[in-house]
Amino acid sequence: MLTILNRAVIALVFAFLLLPLIFVVVSSFGASPMLAFPPTSFTFDWYRNIPAAFLSGLKVSLIVALWTALIAAIVGTCAALALSRGRFRGIRVVGVFCLAPLMVPSLVLAVALYQFTGVLWDWTGLELGGTVMGVVLGHTAVAIPYVVRAVMAGHAHFDRTLEEAALNLGANWRQTLIYVTLPVLVPGIMSGAVFAFLVSFDDLPIALFMGGDASSTTMPVKIYTSIEYSLKPDIMAISALVIYGSLALMVLLERTLGLEKFFGSGRA
Amino acid sequence: MAQAGVKGSELPIRGPADSGQGASTERSEPLPIRWGVLSLPAVLGLLFAFGLPIALLTANSLFRHAGPGRVAPTVTLDNYVAFLTDPFFLRILLDTFVLGFMVVSICAILGYPVAYFLARTRSRCRGMMIFLVVAPLLVSAVIRNLGWVPLLGTNGFVNWLLLLLGLVDRPVALVNNFVGVVIGTSHAVMPFMILMLMTVIQRINPEIEEAAVNLGASQWQNFWQIVFPLSIPGLLGGYLIVFTITISSFTTPAMLGGNRVLIMSTFISQQVRFVLNYAFGATCAVILMAVAIALTVVAVRQSERRG
Repeated sequence: MLTILNRAVIALVFAFLLLPLIFVVVSSFGASPMLAFPPTSFTFDWYRNIPAAFLSGLKVSLIVALWTALIAAIVGTCAALALSRGRFRGIRVVGVFCLAPLMVPSLVLAVALYQFTGVLWDWTGLELGGTVMGVVLGHTAVAIPYVVRAVMAGHAHFDRTLEEAALNLGANWRQTLIYVTLPVLVPGIMSGAVFAFLVSFDDLPIALFMGGDASSTTMPVKIYTSIEYSLKPDIMAISALVIYGSLALMVLLERTLGLEKFFGSGRA
Repeated sequence: MAQAGVKGSELPIRGPADSGQGASTERSEPLPIRWGVLSLPAVLGLLFAFGLPIALLTANSLFRHAGPGRVAPTVTLDNYVAFLTDPFFLRILLDTFVLGFMVVSICAILGYPVAYFLARTRSRCRGMMIFLVVAPLLVSAVIRNLGWVPLLGTNGFVNWLLLLLGLVDRPVALVNNFVGVVIGTSHAVMPFMILMLMTVIQRINPEIEEAAVNLGASQWQNFWQIVFPLSIPGLLGGYLIVFTITISSFTTPAMLGGNRVLIMSTFISQQVRFVLNYAFGATCAVILMAVAIALTVVAVRQSERRG
């Protein structure tokens, strides 16, 4: 009896987890624009007529996420090395500061950045609010801690005798750093960068407050602002496309890093 | 992931001392590099993109509202007093906590069997099932929420099912209200809850359970007298983290609440985007941030004391 109840709950939870994703895909083929269930007939039309604004939003999202991943990976890896290897005064404070953005709700940071870029513009004329650079800046602040954590977790198992061996065998310190130290850290850097990409691609609040015209409107912002007026299957079509893309990425992650390990490294 | 949106999909935070420091700093440093200097880009970058904006937000929270989008730089605690003495604002804070409590309860009860199964099974499907648990995290929060609309709408699948089963006479409102926000947010944080519970259960030695069963404990007794008590210390920290992610989330409440559900995050957004009261918006933001940071610190302490 208990086992049956147990199994039922497990099945229910999996249905609960996956139904929204399945329904985005199902609705994207639905012929009626009212999104009623059960659907009466199916069509590919929504995929053929995805409005240009959504495609441009997807493009902006990808550009922003790639820049975020790149900048956060470089800056975050440096910080992680400093925190793992360095011995300097205030290392604890720097460590807490580098992870601090994780503790602040992203909406709060979004509002803070919005007000900050406004003041910055008043005082210096520097235009960050409403630009792609502004969105990237906000996303990078949120993404850096993920990279720092992933790289530090990777470094925790680092065997320094490898470096000593390289030096003893005649490598200079630059060669040791490039050919021994960094390659060992690559899995951590990679999962940090993927996290950074996902954090950026996922974000609504920062992009909502930092974005401006179409050139800096990410896909989540475009979807969010358009469903305030109407929900039509063309939104479902672009969303379904993103789900197909995410699925491909997941399979890729599973094959390369291993999903469980990937999430584990981010949490360590 | 973001909780994501919850996006901000935040996870437990540990200080630098926890990973890699202890053992390895004792060793001599093989490379002649001043590692500390490498922290400069991150420190300066975060100062600009995080430290200064939060400092300004805190300053704005102490200033006076001076017309749409303007603040007058006279320091006062009036905004905080206004928030903490008006039942309307306190109600928003209370609703935020109620949401957090409901979501944690739902995820804890429904997530436990799944986490226990994943922690103990030797099935070949385990990898695939973990894949399915984390899959929603890798899809953008906005898109996940979009999927709930055709599911929960008046003509949606859930109402169709409820009518079919005869559980209701006419469609019930499941979206654009608090119920929708609870469902959507539970969905968003469920993967975190399952992963967290799974780690906690994996730490319990299975031989203790085997001993209990061999000594004649029923499954029910095994759970309530062995597994659950042993997992409590780990659970508390995890629950606090999931609670914090929930009360910090904006994307799901904004999308599934239909501008009608006022919790801290949606209220702050309204104050800043539409009411243009930057000072009071900042005050509410600082209050939410203070609560989130306090809860995270307690959660981290909790998990450190355990480990």
